[in-house]
Amino acid sequence: MSMKKIIGITSGALLALFSAQTAFADETLKVGVSAPMSGAAAAWGLGFEYAAEQAVEKVNSEGGIKAGGKTYMLELHAYDNKYNAAEGAKTAQTMLNREKIKFIVGSIGTAPVRATQALSERQGVLLFNTGWGKSIKGPDYPLTFTQMNTPFEILAPFFGYIKEQHPELKTVAMITPNDATGQEVEPVAVKSWNDLGVEVVSTDRYERGTTEFQSIATKIANSKPDGVDFGAAPPADVGSIMKALDVLGWNGVKIVAPGTSAGTLSKMAGGAAEGTYLGASADFQGDSASETQRKLNEGAIAKLGESLNGITISSYDAVMALKKAIETADSIDPKKVAETLPTIIFESSYGPAAFGGTNVYGSPQQILIPVMITQVKDGKAVEVGRVAPEELKERLK
Amino acid sequence: MELQVQLLMNTLQIGSVYVLFALGLTLIFGVMKIVNFAHGTFFTAAALIVSSVMIWGVGTMGLSIWFSYLLAFFLALVVVCLIGFVVYIFGFQYFLKDLNGSFILSIGLLLLLNGTFLILYGGVPRSIPDVIPGNVSFLGASLTLQRLVLMIVASVITLGLYILVHRTKLGLSLRAVAEDQEAAMLQGIPFRRVALYGFLIGATLAACAGALMATVTPVTTVIGDDFLVKAFIIIIIGGLGSVLGAILGGLLIALIESFGGYYFDPSTATLAMFVLVVVLLIVRPQGILGHAEK
Repeated sequence: MSMKKIIGITSGALLALFSAQTAFADETLKVGVSAPMSGAAAAWGLGFEYAAEQAVEKVNSEGGIKAGGKTYMLELHAYDNKYNAAEGAKTAQTMLNREKIKFIVGSIGTAPVRATQALSERQGVLLFNTGWGKSIKGPDYPLTFTQMNTPFEILAPFFGYIKEQHPELKTVAMITPNDATGQEVEPVAVKSWNDLGVEVVSTDRYERGTTEFQSIATKIANSKPDGVDFGAAPPADVGSIMKALDVLGWNGVKIVAPGTSAGTLSKMAGGAAEGTYLGASADFQGDSASETQRKLNEGAIAKLGESLNGITISSYDAVMALKKAIETADSIDPKKVAETLPTIIFESSYGPAAFGGTNVYGSPQQILIPVMITQVKDGKAVEVGRVAPEELKERLK
Repeated sequence: MELQVQLLMNTLQIGSVYVLFALGLTLIFGVMKIVNFAHGTFFTAAALIVSSVMIWGVGTMGLSIWFSYLLAFFLALVVVCLIGFVVYIFGFQYFLKDLNGSFILSIGLLLLLNGTFLILYGGVPRSIPDVIPGNVSFLGASLTLQRLVLMIVASVITLGLYILVHRTKLGLSLRAVAEDQEAAMLQGIPFRRVALYGFLIGATLAACAGALMATVTPVTTVIGDDFLVKAFIIIIIGGLGSVLGAILGGLLIALIESFGGYYFDPSTATLAMFVLVVVLLIVRPQGILGHAEK
């Protein structure tokens, strides 16, 4: 046998061996996150990234995701969208065109979500998001799913609870950021207050990035409302407005429907934050928290110095929903996974959860999890009420 | 009446910092004929330094709040001056009177410094303990003692700069260079050295504004960006390179923000500022107190 032949046979054998090995090796499935990791809403993005990391770690440590005879290990790619449309478009370009990501397990902010959605729907990418806008869901956007409660799920039970606790609440002033989130939240909030017999005496909008809130605080304090609804304002902005209101002597009922970070709020507003009602926060240290939530929360406090909340923990739930849907569909085709998502019941951090909401959005793209009402007490969010969605109760029967 | 006083007080509170910040920007433009888009990072750097030194001083070392703040303020000015010196020596001195070159350089610096701040400090907003707790009431208007002191300090620094520019030899050199660089050089004024001084004074003013604002607002790694946009509006209204114009423009913008924010809403007030800029650029492009290009 000539040397040439020996080399040829050896190379062929090695190549065959290598190919066989790689066929059985784990494959990587990239998942993306687009959230504000700097600026006033940074607390949301950093917690969001942390919860996604934990979910990815859990999925990988339990053997990954199995579909189509293959095992996929998740790889997380997180980007800062700075809570604006321009950066949202930039991060979407990076995720979809550079990294070729097919599953976005979390995106925060209606404006950046819309910017991402413009690409993701066209390129067949599944998009989980926390956007509060109603317009981002529906039959026209079959690949978009909301991973947390939005005003349509939160406001009625949240405001109803507050009105019950404060029957003297007759007037409310509203302030919200002037962007897609704020513009879509405002009319829903006004309607919800009116339905409860509460008059909204003023509605004002401010630009994100604003640092001086004295004028708006003066206006609010001067209209002497019984309560202030801070709309879709992030914790640092709410803290600044509360501080300014406190200086002006206003001390009514403080309501933050997307209120999440009691820690940041208390750090910014000090004592003025006490008693504030939060609609998207959660007491993950309290009795009603699940074991998973408790563990995730402890880790977040240790790493970020801030508790998790309804927004930040939602990236964990999205990863869990994705795993179940991929395995049920037995495919990593985003379209097949999207068709499967509304049919499954998956184990979220809250316990069994599903996707529904056809009666509100026209298609089942809204996660069904409990609405938790918390209040700031001694600088911490304490759960004071919890309402489970009727649709979920029906599905779990 | 009480309401008008309150709105006026709001105007002064907001305006005093706007003026301080815009003065630095206009001074740099006047002397060096460059538009520094990285000016906001000097503000941010100072605010971040104050927040971290305060947390270290009060929390770790157990120093008094007052001492910690004064130390933080001093350190912020020194560090920002050093940053200013480095970026001037290695960057801006090669682009004096070069609008295109300085534009690209300052945008690059802005991205570099913002990214560095984000890596060093993370994105979570920071707040520092009250340096001067308590509120004061004046003719029915309420404000925190901290804001009142901030206003006074900012006014004193502004007055100091005015005196420096109009009553000292350095000020005369700065004005001469701003007026006509060639003629100033013919009179023996060292243009490059004066430009460096102008740049450092501008950076220091931004640092003062940042160090003062850190006491009353959450500090983020992009806090200077909002002020930068306002500062550009201010110096366009007041007149590029004009010290008095920056003061006038700063107070005018604060007035619009305060009264417009109250009688309409903050977004409308912001819109009004841009409309004012557009109108002014059409009818008086050199700004209220600016000089027309010959």
